[in-house]
Amino acid sequence: MATKMSQAELGVFNPETYANGDPATFGLPLESFKYLREEEPVCLHKFDDPLLVPELYVVSRHEDIEMVDRDSETYASGLNSVNFWAFAPIGDAVGAPAMLTQDGEKHRETRRIVSRAFTPKMVKGLEDKFREYAVAVIEPALAKGEPFNFIDDIAHLMPMQALGDVLGVPEEDRPKFFHWVDQFAAPFDTRITPSFEDVGKAIMELFGYALDLEKLRKAQPGDDIMSKIAEAGLPEGEVRGNVVLLASGAAESTRTSLGHGLHELMRRPDQMAWLREHADDIPLTAAQEIVRISSPFTHLCRTTTKDVELHGVELKAGSIVAMLFAAGNFDTDAFDNPNDFDLTRSPNPHLSFGRGPHSCLGKHVAALEIKILLEELLQRTKDIRPAGPISYIRDAYSRGVYQLPVTMEAA
Amino acid sequence: MKIILDTNLCEAHGDCVLAAPDIFDLDDDDNVATMLIAEPGEEYRTQLEEAARMCPVAAIRIED
Repeated sequence: MATKMSQAELGVFNPETYANGDPATFGLPLESFKYLREEEPVCLHKFDDPLLVPELYVVSRHEDIEMVDRDSETYASGLNSVNFWAFAPIGDAVGAPAMLTQDGEKHRETRRIVSRAFTPKMVKGLEDKFREYAVAVIEPALAKGEPFNFIDDIAHLMPMQALGDVLGVPEEDRPKFFHWVDQFAAPFDTRITPSFEDVGKAIMELFGYALDLEKLRKAQPGDDIMSKIAEAGLPEGEVRGNVVLLASGAAESTRTSLGHGLHELMRRPDQMAWLREHADDIPLTAAQEIVRISSPFTHLCRTTTKDVELHGVELKAGSIVAMLFAAGNFDTDAFDNPNDFDLTRSPNPHLSFGRGPHSCLGKHVAALEIKILLEELLQRTKDIRPAGPISYIRDAYSRGVYQLPVTMEAA
Repeated sequence: MKIILDTNLCEAHGDCVLAAPDIFDLDDDDNVATMLIAEPGEEYRTQLEEAARMCPVAAIRIED
């Protein structure tokens, strides 16, 4: 048995770990993940911070995470915070229950309403529109003719437009809408959110806007989610909660994946060359591998509804369990050579989208966005190379990239 | 090989359509998954196992 590592040494819930992540290991503490999986597959962590939950059990093996995520009767979503923060912009406590904070029939009802805007068929119909957006964000960046920050100039704009369409946010409102999302999505990074008050302010703004948007879509319905929500007549609280959930789920995570993905492609000329060869129709495996190594959200939490035992650890009813997706995504029991970035990986049972009833609604949209953006980008460039080091967001939940300076040579 | 698709559980996530496109589709209103072949042959086993595994709500079962 390896020497016992303390919570401080592991650092998997320390924002500094990710802010100072090693770009050679996807910015992730892979050694800590390995230790957790092999030595303490159910590892108690305690926090002495009013902004965080008092304690949680970290589950890090691929098969355990999958089991917890699928067994929503034992590991419920609606009883506590959705992650290791003690506060959340969604949930009953803030008058904004959302799918991610609901269980059972209530969850199923809402999911059925909104899932129809996310099916593979609906998503396929978005392809032409997404391609237009991709071109519209890539061309101005290329036209600069000098190094730029891929995150701000491309990765941020693509999901904003795509999600705007899926959600039904009018184009002119998209910048402010996504500004609010950014503020509460990275509450511990003062470069993005100057103070904690700003987090609360941004959430309130978004709550208010959600109801305005619902009214608008009731009057002018479309194919988007907001129209489906308006048509179904969800209670006000749920409208607020689900708008926040969908916005933060889609905006941040896709941008994060694009950032980590491009960074890794620049580190791996063989993978970049393979992708260029397939730039006219990038296989689905590529986006999935990018989402795996990105692990855009390190974890989500559930709460036990009864006493359970897991790997010899007693979890009393009401215990918080953190599914450390990022650790499961590098589990050698589930992946061959998990530390290798392989765009042809198949099967790729990564956990970044979750695995159970709460699995990511936008998984097909995200995969399409990544595919199309990379296709358009590679077709328009001869060469893409770093113009400076990558830097990460200071956060242990959301794995955002802060800067990815690049130089692109137009084709 | 017999496939049991529980349409009461199905929430139209669409993962089965990606895993086994020859077997599953979503109905016209995108409400539930449907099966294109009632009793698929052995050649589809790998796809079907993947579909059953990927289904977020465990609505697909394979009975030999």
